[in-house]
Order: sequence, then C-alpha cells, then structure tokens
Amino acid sequence: MNNKSAHSSSFRDPSGYVFIENNEVKRVVNPIYFNQYNALSESGFFNKLFKNELLIPHEEISKTEDKVIIKAEKIPFVTYPYEWSFNMYKEAALLTLKLQKYSLENGFSLKDASAFNVTFNKGKAIFIDTLSFDFYNEDSPWRAYKQFITHFFGPLVLAHFHGADQLKLLSSFIDGISVKMISSMLPTRTKLNPLLYSNIHLLAKLEDKHNEDYKNESKVAKLSKKGQLNIIESLYNYIKKLELKEKSEWGNYYDKTNYSDNAFDEKSTIINNWVKDIAPKTLIDVGGNDGTFVRKLDAAIDTALVGDIDNNAVDFNYKTMKQSQERFMLPFLLDVLNPAPSIGLNNEERDAFINRVKAFAPDVTLALAVIHHISLSGNVPFARSAEFFAKFSKYLIIEFPKRNDSWVQRLLNNKAEFKNHFEHYNLSNFENTYAEFFEVLETKAISNSERVMFFLKRKKC
Amino acid sequence: MILLYFDPGLGAMIVQAIIAAVAGVVLFSKNLMYKIKLFLGLVKKDDKDVFDDIDVKDSDIDNKNTSEQ
Repeated sequence: MNNKSAHSSSFRDPSGYVFIENNEVKRVVNPIYFNQYNALSESGFFNKLFKNELLIPHEEISKTEDKVIIKAEKIPFVTYPYEWSFNMYKEAALLTLKLQKYSLENGFSLKDASAFNVTFNKGKAIFIDTLSFDFYNEDSPWRAYKQFITHFFGPLVLAHFHGADQLKLLSSFIDGISVKMISSMLPTRTKLNPLLYSNIHLLAKLEDKHNEDYKNESKVAKLSKKGQLNIIESLYNYIKKLELKEKSEWGNYYDKTNYSDNAFDEKSTIINNWVKDIAPKTLIDVGGNDGTFVRKLDAAIDTALVGDIDNNAVDFNYKTMKQSQERFMLPFLLDVLNPAPSIGLNNEERDAFINRVKAFAPDVTLALAVIHHISLSGNVPFARSAEFFAKFSKYLIIEFPKRNDSWVQRLLNNKAEFKNHFEHYNLSNFENTYAEFFEVLETKAISNSERVMFFLKRKKC
Repeated sequence: MILLYFDPGLGAMIVQAIIAAVAGVVLFSKNLMYKIKLFLGLVKKDDKDVFDDIDVKDSDIDNKNTSEQ
C-alpha cells in the first residue's frame, strides 16, 4: 500500500500517511478517506481551521483515483508532549477539545485524540493530523474520549496533584497513561469531585468491568450530541482553570543570580555584537531559562528554541510569549543530561531531541550559565560537552564561570571530599578542550564578575 | 465511518452517557453560581488569561497575522 516511503511515525491510520520528499512534508490520502476529505475541503471546514491557525495548512498537489497528495506547511521543530510545560500541555488539550466541539457542530468528529497530534508553531498549539476528522454519526459517543483522558486529562490532573514531572510519563507510555493507573495515583478525595469521579474513577471501574467482556461487543452505546457537548465543555472549563499546586517562582529568577545589572547588560551587549555578524534566523538556547536573553537579541529571528530543565521557567517563558503574542519563540523542556529519546516502534516513531535539533541546524547556539551545571552537577568532562554542542551548532556562544564564581564554589562545595577531583574545571582546560572541536573566534571577560564569554565556530569534521 | 485503529474501550463508550449527565449538572450549577456572582458583583475579570474560550471565532479580524509567513 505504501508505495512512497512513509514517515516512521505514520503507520497507524489507514486513511493515509505522511512522507518527506525534497525536504517537504506531504501526505497521501487513501481512497478509504476520500469522502471525508472531500467533505472537509468543500464545506470550508479545513479553511476555517487554517484561518484560525488551529490546523496545519495544506494544499492539494495532485488528485487521482487511487490517491490524493497534499503538501503541508513544514514546522521547523516539532516538540513532543513530554517536552511541554504545564500550560503548554493545557493549551494542547484545550485545542483538541475546541476542535472536537467545532467538528460536532459541523457534522464531524475527531477519531483520535492523541497528544502527538498537536505541536507548537508560531507561538501557538497547532493540530497536525489532518486526517483525524471523520463523519459524526448521530447519537454515537466520542470514540476518542478514552484517548483524550489517557493522553491529556489524566496527565494534567496528575500534574496538578503531584507536580509537572508527571507530564513526562507520556515518554514511557506512548499510548497514554492507563485510566486505572491515573485513578490509583489520584488522592482519594478526588472521588468527591463529580467531574474527576466520573471522568476518571468511574471510567476506570467500567473499563475494568468490560475489559474481558468480549461477547457484549455488539451492544450499542448511545449518547446525544448535546450530551457529548456537555462532556467536552465541562472538561474544557475544568482544564482551563487547572493550576499547578507547587508554588511557582516566576519573575524572580534573575534576582537569584550573582551578578549585577551592569554585568547583565554587558553580557547582552557582548552577545549582540557577536550575533550581529552572523545575522541568525534560527537559534537554540540550551539553558534559556524564561527567554530573557533571547528577547534581548538584536536579530530578526524566525524560530528561537529556548530550552530549560525547569518547568516553571519554561512556563513563564510560554506565558510571556502568549501575552506579547510572539511568533518566533518556541519554549520547551530540555535536560541536557537526558534529552528526549527516540521512542515507539523501531525506536523511530518519535524522534530523539538530538536528531531533531541536528535537522533544525540552528544558526547559533547559546549556552549561558549552563556549563558549570553540566560539568559539575552532571560530572560531564569538557570533551563530552563540547562534542554535544558540536553535533548541532555552527556557532556557539558559551559562558564560562571561573572557579571563583559563587555558583561554581557552591557546586564544588557540594562535592565535599571529592572537591579535589574537579581540579580540571578551570579556564585554560576549558578553552583547550573546546578548541579541539571549535575555532575560538573571540573571548571576552564580563567585568566585575568571574565569568568569561566565548564565541566559537565549529571546525569542519 | 472508518473502523478505528485503536480500541476505544467498551467501558469508555458506555460510561459516556453517565459522564454526560454529570457534566450537565456541573455545567448547570456552575452557570447558576456564575449568574448569582454576577448579580452580586463578585465576578473578577482576569485579563491575564492566556487561553481563549472554546468556540472557534467566526470573524477573521483576529487572524490578520495569518498572511505573514
């Protein structure tokens, strides 16, 4: 059936598949989906969603009796659910519900509600699975309902009670967290909340009961459209108001750093001078915190990936992006010591971070105030971190805090009696090791601080 | 209707009728509370909210940016 070679993540849906041709994202629509495809195109349904930037835009490039080929707009960097902060996850969930409501009102219904159907582009969550829309059958329940609970609602409610790290569970449970597990992890008092009781605990109970009930398969379940809309709206309202319980530390990140406002401004001036020469269109900041430095850049950036290990920082960046309607910013969760792996069938359904960032090939990489964490908290030798950066950065702007920096001292003191094993952490060692992978274009010390900035260019391998 | 390529869960299909009834009651009571609060002047406007409401907008005024690619 697949005569063009399908993308490694595109095999579940018989309606069609995605393939990459000449660096363009294309999709084959199979005859089994022609009726739906034509109805969605001709009724203006697709167009309306394109205009509202809810669905990835596509254009039809060929149409024959046995297949239609459409070309979709390419997203520069696809982030996965386990790389989203809490509020990003919320936006993706709300988008899915919004699409289902709009579909129902127009005689369609989402046939699946996978969290992998959504990603972020131009400052918004966007639905990328064009073939997920099917005809709505009068009085039939939502077939993707359980998937919505296991991919979106469950993880969000778990995160509310147990912290944002729960959202990473999806990287182990690629097809959603089982309702039984969600139910068992929630505090008993959630059984008193009608919405949580019915959508999770009762659902878990009934799923369990009908699990082995093969004979009853023909039993038709009925649900009016009004009833389904009630479910969708109540979930929407609940998710929209959902917050993390953990106290956030937004807004005072830079109060905790150890250098003065002057040093801070000087740092951004140095970066801006270097960046001016490259005029980057794309960049990645691997310890980007809440995006402050990227926002200070004097460059017309199309896409800025700003990763941080801390959900609160990423979430704060996301909210700033939303409030000022920025379209270039792409916040995401990144742990340099454990970036998102390749998972799923053949280990290639969802791509590893390192492969995606290599393909993205950012014009410049920023690594500000992260090397001491990588080297001292993570015990990563300079050669290994240099190798990491060299994999995807043409230019690298990296900040090195010297041994006397208060943060470095703190990290070294944490090593207690092993402190002496970290003698290698010093400026000359750093520069010599990085010079094996990069050409040192310029170095500049930040005055009144123990920090040195490096401007590096990758050597041809 | 294309047969699903994943198991929607029989329990999940049956239970939706009950969930919908619960949701109906929740929505009705929340709505009622909202109206009472509105009447008593207790509703606070949250301008900082980054999320839209559930409906897809009809006008294209909000979508001027679409043409900038």
